[in-house]
This record gives sequence, C-alpha cells and structure tokens, in this order.
Amino acid sequence: MLKSWKLKEIVLMSLFGVVFGIVYLVAIHFGNIWAGLIGPIAYEWMFGIWFIVSILSMAIIRKPGAAVLPETIAAIIEVMLGNAVGPRLILSGVIQGLGAEAAFAATRYRHFNLAVMMLAGAGAAVFSFVYGYFVSGYAALDPSFVLLMFTLRLLSGAIIAGIGGKYLADGLLATGALRGYAISRTKQGGAGA
Amino acid sequence: MSRLLHDMNPSVKFIIVTVSMLTMAFFFNPWTPLLFWIGILILQMTMSRINWKLWALMMLPFTLGAVGYLWTTLVFGADTGGEVIGSFAGIEVTDQQWAHAWSLTFRVLAFSTLSLLFAFTTNPVTFVMSLMQQLKVPPKIAYGTMVGYQFLPVLKDELTQIRQAQRLRGVGQDRHWWHRITGTRRLLIPMLAGAVRKAERAAFAMEARGFTGERRMEFYRPIKVSGRDYVLAGVFLVVLALSCAGGIVLGK
Repeated sequence: MLKSWKLKEIVLMSLFGVVFGIVYLVAIHFGNIWAGLIGPIAYEWMFGIWFIVSILSMAIIRKPGAAVLPETIAAIIEVMLGNAVGPRLILSGVIQGLGAEAAFAATRYRHFNLAVMMLAGAGAAVFSFVYGYFVSGYAALDPSFVLLMFTLRLLSGAIIAGIGGKYLADGLLATGALRGYAISRTKQGGAGA
Repeated sequence: MSRLLHDMNPSVKFIIVTVSMLTMAFFFNPWTPLLFWIGILILQMTMSRINWKLWALMMLPFTLGAVGYLWTTLVFGADTGGEVIGSFAGIEVTDQQWAHAWSLTFRVLAFSTLSLLFAFTTNPVTFVMSLMQQLKVPPKIAYGTMVGYQFLPVLKDELTQIRQAQRLRGVGQDRHWWHRITGTRRLLIPMLAGAVRKAERAAFAMEARGFTGERRMEFYRPIKVSGRDYVLAGVFLVVLALSCAGGIVLGK
C-alpha cells in the first residue's frame, strides 16, 4: 500500500498531526479543569477535534489509507511529546482513523463532498465510541446516559470533523499551497468528483 | 534505585502497557484496578528515576478526571440491582453501583499512572526507532513521524509569529472563548499552509540525500531486545495476573 505514497505526502500528514497537536493544546486550556469536574461527558462535544486530521488529509491526498495513517502518525507524535494519555493513544488513533476510512472506502474513494466527510466524521465517532465503551467501562453507566454521550460524540464527529475538515480543506486549497496534490487535480476543486 | 525501566526496549514496554490496559477493561470490581495501580506505582518507584514533582503535576488533571468518573458513575450508573446502601439528594446508590464507581475511578488512576510510567521512562526518538526495528513500522512512516516531531518547535514559533502579526494588524483580539473557537480558522489556515510547504521541502531534502523508504536490515543505531526485556515484561505480567486474581478473590 505504501508503494504508491510519496514521501512528501507522508511528511505532510505528520506535520498536520503536529499542527493539530499544538492547536489542541491551545484549545484545551480553557476546558481542562471543568472537564475533569464534569466527568467523562465533558469531552464528548469536542471529540471531533481529534478526527479532523483524518478528514483533512483524505480531502487533500485522496488515496486509500489517507485517513488511517495521519491519525496514527498524529497519535505517535502525541505519545512522543509525552502526552499523558499514553501509548494507548496510538491504538485509539488507529481505531478512529479506521472509522473515518470506512466511510471513504464505502464510497470507493470517489466522492469527497461534504456529505461523505460528515459521514467519515460520524464513522470515526462510532468506532472510537465502541472502543471507549470497552476501555472506559461505559457498560457500568445508565444506557440513556451512554446514549446521550454517544449522540454528542456523533454530532461532534459530523460537525467539527466533517464540516470543519471540509471548511479547512477549502480554505487551504484557496491559498494555492496544495498544488501537486490530488485535491487540486479535480476540476471542481474541493467539491468532489 | 535502578534505571531498569528507562533501559527497557520501548516496543516491548509499549506492548506490555497496551496489553495491561486492555486486560483491565474486563474488570468491574474495585480491587483489580486498585491493586494494579499500587503495583505500577511500586514498579515506578523501584525501577526508575524520575522527577516526582513533575509526575504529581501531570497526575493532577487525571485525579480530577477520576473524581468526575466517580460521581458520574454514582449518579448515572446502570441499574444492575443489588442492595441500596445509601442515598444522597434523592439518588439511591446500590452496592453494585458503589463497586463499579470505585472500579472506574481506580481504572482511570491506574491507566494514567501506567501512561506516565511510559512517558517518563521512554526516549521519544528511541521509541520510534524501536517501532521501526522491532514492530516493522515502514521506514517512510517512522522517519516521516520523526520529521514532524523535529518540526514541533518551528511550528510553535510560527504560531506565535502568526498571532503577533495578526495582533499588529488589529485582528485576533478575542474577548470571549467563542471568539477563540471561531478564530482558530484564522490561525489554522496559515499554519497548515506553512506545514504543506515545509513538508514538501523536508521530503525533497530527504530524497535528495538518498532516502528511498525501503526496508533495511542494518541500522545506524540498532535497538535490541535483550533477555532483561523479557524478564521485565514477565514482572509486569505477574503484577497484572496478581491484581486480576486478587480482584476476583477480594471482590466476592
């Protein structure tokens, strides 16, 4: 699979991972303490932030794997930076990435419009929630509360990651920096095939 | 005081830590995660040399998170039956819920301690090199990741620069937190555009110096798995097994 990947595409995903790592740190400042006090549900609405890198990379590179790889690389980098969530972040990165990848694979990597990207965000949310259900022991919580958490995460994935990713991809395309990537080769620009 | 954990092979450590966490997920009694948490703390104390002040600082948000878990599980716990052992503000808590709540709380603490054990005793560069040499992560990905890691300070500076430049022109005076959220696009687009250009340049430079991304058998800095790594992995597994067994016995 990696044969068809150019080195610049891999380095690009890695740098995107770092950028989102930094932005995430800036964004987390005002949410950290109250998130701790409110409990696990506090993180749900912002889960989409973690999925953006998958969707943005896929929008730009448009190759099988362009959703799983950046999420995985971003997770490895966060672990390298000494992220206190620790090595299990890599596993959750792979799982989230697979969720987003599934949506693009289901459309055979032919469509990259807003609907597919929102679907990918939702897919990442579903995969990560199933994993979180197991690892964080949501089984001990009331089903209706779990359903509320799931709905929040699903919306966050579709809105923050899906719409946000599309919005960023279009903005980045407009800067002209993306010449030489698949996104610039389609006639409609970022509008999808 | 030894530095055994610092010298442990990062890939072996990574696998052991992940296996331990996944195993913990099967237990809903309070004793297993508690015993495991204590076990990890003892390992950290006896087999590594770390800055405990920094450690405590990094544990703080997780301790708060653990408290969040405790009351969330108590208030929104699944109705699993069992005897009511007390009520507070109209919420009745059964013994089952009580046990689950403490179990999840200790699980958060055990997970964070385990994560910090990894973070405090692992050199990031060695970790990625070990992923490539032991776990066969393709060199393209391993070195691509290293590039990102090395660019971190550059990108951080760039963020400051972009912010200062925008402030100079009168944008970026965010008074409210929702302005900060909507304002992230203004920061993200230039950051990402810069990242695209840097990635291209770095990749070109690497290829110009003969990087092909092919797998190789020999490395400049070989990272090996020694007998000591198996022994340490064994120690972790013993701690894991003991806490699982202890939890089953005490949980009855």
